[in-house]
Amino acid sequence: MENDSRSRMLHQLMRGLILTGFAMLIVYLVKTDNIGYYIAPRMELYVKLSAIGLYAAAVYQFYEAIQTWIGRKREMQCDCSHDPSPSAAKNTLIYSLFLFPLALGFLLPDTTMGSALASKKGITLSSSQQFNTPVNAGGVPNAEAKAEAAPMNEGSDASSASRQPETASPVRIELEPGAVPTGEQLNAMFPADTYTETYAEHAKKLYFSERIEIPEKSFIENLTTLDLYRVNLTGKTVVLSGFVYREEEMGKERFVVSRFAMNCCSADAMPYGLMIDYPGASRYADDEWIQVTGKMDLTTYKDNEIIYLKANKIEKIPAPESPYVYPDFDFGF
Amino acid sequence: MICCLGIIGLILTGTSLSELLDFSLDPAFIPSFKTMFISIILEAFPFILLGVLFSALLQVFVSDSVIQRFTPKNPVAGVLFGSLLGLLFPLCECGMVPVVRRLIRKGMPAYIGIVYIIAGPILNPVVYTATWTAFRTRPEIAYSRMGLAFGVSVITGLILYKVIRSNPLKQASPATGVIHSHDHHHGHHHSHDHGHAGTASVKNRFASTLSHASDEFFEMGKYLIFGALLTALIQTGLSRDTLAGVGEQPVLSNLFMMAFAFVLSICSTSDAFIAASFTGTFSAGSLLAFLVFGPMIDIKNTLMLLSTFRTKIVLALIFITGTLVLIGSILTERLFFS
Repeated sequence: MENDSRSRMLHQLMRGLILTGFAMLIVYLVKTDNIGYYIAPRMELYVKLSAIGLYAAAVYQFYEAIQTWIGRKREMQCDCSHDPSPSAAKNTLIYSLFLFPLALGFLLPDTTMGSALASKKGITLSSSQQFNTPVNAGGVPNAEAKAEAAPMNEGSDASSASRQPETASPVRIELEPGAVPTGEQLNAMFPADTYTETYAEHAKKLYFSERIEIPEKSFIENLTTLDLYRVNLTGKTVVLSGFVYREEEMGKERFVVSRFAMNCCSADAMPYGLMIDYPGASRYADDEWIQVTGKMDLTTYKDNEIIYLKANKIEKIPAPESPYVYPDFDFGF
Repeated sequence: MICCLGIIGLILTGTSLSELLDFSLDPAFIPSFKTMFISIILEAFPFILLGVLFSALLQVFVSDSVIQRFTPKNPVAGVLFGSLLGLLFPLCECGMVPVVRRLIRKGMPAYIGIVYIIAGPILNPVVYTATWTAFRTRPEIAYSRMGLAFGVSVITGLILYKVIRSNPLKQASPATGVIHSHDHHHGHHHSHDHGHAGTASVKNRFASTLSHASDEFFEMGKYLIFGALLTALIQTGLSRDTLAGVGEQPVLSNLFMMAFAFVLSICSTSDAFIAASFTGTFSAGSLLAFLVFGPMIDIKNTLMLLSTFRTKIVLALIFITGTLVLIGSILTERLFFS
């Protein structure tokens, strides 16, 4: 019986320590402001609350350990079930499984996601692909996948046609310099259905400004607008910042300015970007943070039509406080 | 149980052994792995704690007879009840397994509990909103996700009802042959009698809740961490281009997206955003397969299910839901998307 309660106490202490460890890891990440490397701001509150829960459980485990130590018999028999396994090897294995993330969390530096992960996750260079456009994803080179995607797009167009007028594709309209397009012309240039309405409205605003600065808050939404209505927005000056990302196929004079868009946590973050063409491109290293000013135009990359910037100015900038961008739920409201 | 874990681990890691060798050569691998691994654990913590707490509260404050009175006796009603329980308790899959285990031990028929496990992570308001937001341009994806998930859960539930009834060990301890859990079952009943016979003061009940919750946290936590580890390895090790290159034919792409969902093990509240990033590369039907199969069955929750149910039941569940989702997603695409 002596041995039994000794091993019980060891287990309770171990569990208490692990629980404290996780609570402390969360506190540490919050204190160092690095929690944003792992989870989106809207999840932060819940993670902080769980730190409190973990800590409460830890305190309880220590309390139980003390009770075992001073020999108070367990009057609440409910922990019956969880009498730890007698195998020491098994216990070591299980506890090391818990200690592993703790060790990683405390010992290794927190890093932001960059080029290395972007190449694994596959970058999106044409963010309007979600809107049934026949344009294929930037990251997928094979023609079969494209061919397969095409009938699906037609199909869903057909089914949505029964509910609403079919969305026309943007018409390229060239105006005399200084001329103001009529409302009718504008609607032909920026057609929309229920889902692209906010983008069309935004595009009309962008159309009247010569210089488009892409803000952090609605980064993805702005890229999507540029891509959706690319035929009428080419020639605009666009300013955006991000980190440098390269693929072999881009050659020496091109790279991508990219940002990771995160929904809940890094596991679901996806890189989005804009292709940059610049003669001195090779001066900028992978993952370096830059601000690019350039003229928007169209090009093809891996058999897809994408938008790109012919850069005339590139500036190195310090990495922003929050390296990631998040979906903007206020966009268009 | 540990054996099963080991074998699954071997199978899963064995397939990518050559990649594992590459990992060590890539200097960015360790930091990337850390970011993925820690982020999955952190994101899952609130949900698993909520589930564990909820389960402990059920254990301490709700008696078996209440649970038994509340669950419908009629199998069809029971299956419907199980598949719509997510509307009332929108827990995500990490939180669900401990709750369902508790409910089954308290006398809820196993097939209803299992239906809740597979339907709950999809048929709930949170996931519907997330899917609708991710596919703003194509709301039919959100509708068909809910519809197909409902259909698959109901049919799976009815099949399980038949199968489990013909089994003499129905809703018995989910661990025939696993001595540890068997003990658990017995011990549990003893303790339960104690708890109710004795004067269960509020303080005792509170302490008992905490005790249950932290014990269960460790039981579920090990599967979560192991699942997060595998998921992080795969996400940092395999590139999406390699993955996307595989899915080319109609049926194959559905199968592929299901396997992809299984491997990714992302929470059902955020998987729609991942799926949306594949629009244009994969057909709507295969995205649907991804969105329905993933929350029902993935690495993380298979490990958790194995801790609770017999291996045979888990394998049957994977097979049944897998087949139904495959057929269902192909049919939905033929009938509604074209």
